[in-house]
Amino acid sequence: MECVVQGIIETQHVEALEILLQGLCGVHRERLRIHELCLKSGPNLGLVASEVRLLCDLEQPEPTWIVRHIGGAMRGSGAEQISVLVRTMVESKVSKNVLRLFHALGYRLDHELLRVGFAFHFQRGASITVTVSSVNKMLKLHATDEAVPVTPGIQMVEVTAPASSENYSEVAAAVSSFCEYLAPLLHLSKPGTSTGVVPTAAAAAASLMSDAGVTT
Amino acid sequence: MAAMEGIQDQSQQQQQQAAPPKPAAERLNPAVQQQLNLESVKTRAISLYKAISRILEDIDAVARANAVPKWQDILGQFSMVNLELFNIMEDIKKVSKAFVVHPKNVNVENSTILPVMLSSKLLPEMETDDNFKKEQLLHGMQNLPISVQIEKLKTRIDMIGAACESAEKVLAETRKAYCFGTRQGPTMVPIDKVQAAKIQEQENLLRAAVNFGEGLRMPLDQRKITSTLPMHLVDVLTVGDGVQTFSDASGMYMKNTPPQSSINATQGLLQASGAQLIGRSAASPSGPTGATSFDNTTTSPLPYANSPRSGTNMMNTPSPQQQTQHQQQQQQQQQQQQQQRQKLMQHMSPHQQQLLAQQLRQSSMPGLGQNQLPQLHDLQGQAQQKFQPLPGQQQMQFSQTMGHQQFQSRQLPSGHVQHGMGQSQLSQGNQLNRHLSQFSGGANNALFNAAQGTPSTQMISNMSATMPSQSLLPRMQLGLAGNPQRSHLLSDQMFNMGAANPGGMMPMQQQQQQHGSQGAFGNMQPNAQNLQPGMVALQNATQNHPNFSQQRQQNQQ
Repeated sequence: MECVVQGIIETQHVEALEILLQGLCGVHRERLRIHELCLKSGPNLGLVASEVRLLCDLEQPEPTWIVRHIGGAMRGSGAEQISVLVRTMVESKVSKNVLRLFHALGYRLDHELLRVGFAFHFQRGASITVTVSSVNKMLKLHATDEAVPVTPGIQMVEVTAPASSENYSEVAAAVSSFCEYLAPLLHLSKPGTSTGVVPTAAAAAASLMSDAGVTT
Repeated sequence: MAAMEGIQDQSQQQQQQAAPPKPAAERLNPAVQQQLNLESVKTRAISLYKAISRILEDIDAVARANAVPKWQDILGQFSMVNLELFNIMEDIKKVSKAFVVHPKNVNVENSTILPVMLSSKLLPEMETDDNFKKEQLLHGMQNLPISVQIEKLKTRIDMIGAACESAEKVLAETRKAYCFGTRQGPTMVPIDKVQAAKIQEQENLLRAAVNFGEGLRMPLDQRKITSTLPMHLVDVLTVGDGVQTFSDASGMYMKNTPPQSSINATQGLLQASGAQLIGRSAASPSGPTGATSFDNTTTSPLPYANSPRSGTNMMNTPSPQQQTQHQQQQQQQQQQQQQQRQKLMQHMSPHQQQLLAQQLRQSSMPGLGQNQLPQLHDLQGQAQQKFQPLPGQQQMQFSQTMGHQQFQSRQLPSGHVQHGMGQSQLSQGNQLNRHLSQFSGGANNALFNAAQGTPSTQMISNMSATMPSQSLLPRMQLGLAGNPQRSHLLSDQMFNMGAANPGGMMPMQQQQQQHGSQGAFGNMQPNAQNLQPGMVALQNATQNHPNFSQQRQQNQQ
């Protein structure tokens, strides 16, 4: 299970966001370059197609692979009151043969994308991960070197935290309270809900970036 | 609290005072009464007193229970009480001059506090403080007349007021200059509506792409592998894989093995298993040269727990992969045949089907790689060894088996006996024969054509579905996949019959009129006759082999 919120930020403010996150999290950022392949199962595996995501971390000296399955989100009145999305998610490290394995099982590539950006992992009531990345698409199959951004002027911000069915409410509270700190720069919402840009973003970014004029 | 209580006492005393001394009809001065409704003040004071006492009790109870008090509630109640008291005091202050506090009851409690409360003099600290401030204010002016003092103080106040105003102005101006904004917060630059719409559009694109993959899907025809794969995919995807994996399943089959596609369109995994079975069953002809038990009926060729000879009928077969990779070829062949028999009896387990499907896919890859089942190569090699000699030898080999079979039991259908199967398998064989009767004519025909004396390589390549270019037989095998459960028996039959009598297929065909899986013939050899069930296109088919015909007739029951 995981709690997740998403938001967008204009590319010009990404540096300011990084400064803000650096100050809030207290850890250094990690570079992010992930090739995400989304596979869909073929008809031989049942009527309902299942979807599986393979994430290849290209930032490591030796590319590492992770398989992830994202399930349905929590529904109901309780879910509506929570400001983050709680959904089932299963993740595991796998060897590089995972792609072959899924092809052999009958999965076919549905789409792929490349995320380039940075991420912060820290502990603040829960183990929270904030990723700020530009989402790139590949014009040719698997051509990660020739990826172009889907939206050049806007980057995606994602805040996720693993949770279990017992503690998801605390984790959700931790995530939402952390997100309040980011309010001057961006609004975060459940995936699927659009937020728009925050009007104070420019001013907040300017103040974060400026060296002079900093008083109490 | 003491002050509050004192004031409460005062108010209560006032009320009591006003009423009792003149119980007759005297009321308060009407003017005073206008200003202050004494009755309401009384009720309010009483209710406030009750509220305070209740709160005190609650706090007391919490303290006794050592529980954590709900500070929010307590603070709320305090603020309520505070407000009420303030209101009462305000009202009383207006008319306090009309009232006199007259202590009704002086006792031990009151005696110490009453003088202080009743005195009009300020408390000592307050008095000194007051004097000090007065001193500061009227410094140097105390000897002047009072009016002058008043004027001077007024001018002082005005000056201070003016200074404050100018200071405010300056602050506002500097704020504007530095864009600090008002005290309420940073200045909000209103976003252009057009720009906002654009941003909204971009945002929707981005969110859809990340969450649902919209805008990232490439149509199949555009999916071409780049010439250079990125590093992390180079060793994961071979070129062959790439081409296959990104098309639909049917497309994949189409590219490599057209017959397979047609089969797939009809029957899916079963076909794969059928092909596999056929491949395995093709090992039977090769048996004689390699297997030691071909000629020997008494040996128990299958030392496995689940072999039919062990008495446990149709137990779970070990996975084909496990067997083929770890056994000698002879055992492989025998085991495969055993498995095939058992599979016929049980229905194909999904696991095996998947394995076979997997093997089929692997085998259908154009670049049959090193990771393909070794058995195929082995069998192929064996078969080649065996069948490169003249077909006559084939016949010899087969006739060996056939004779053997016939020797064992006439009841046993020819196609059923694999090398060295013991008599305990006869019952199974009978059952299998009945299955045989259900075989599709098409499958039979395919094998018949194979057995008809076309190049021996055809039979050899039965085992390998991966050699479409090398021989047409694999396609025929795939064509047989329409009836996987029976196909291997058919192939056995074919081989056996073919060996002994290539022309003796007629009975079989007649037998198999009942069934048609004609879809399997997309891949027939050009010179092969696409024999429909019950076709009599085999003009050269003659019933030379009496034994066969006998058996066929039996099968036709």
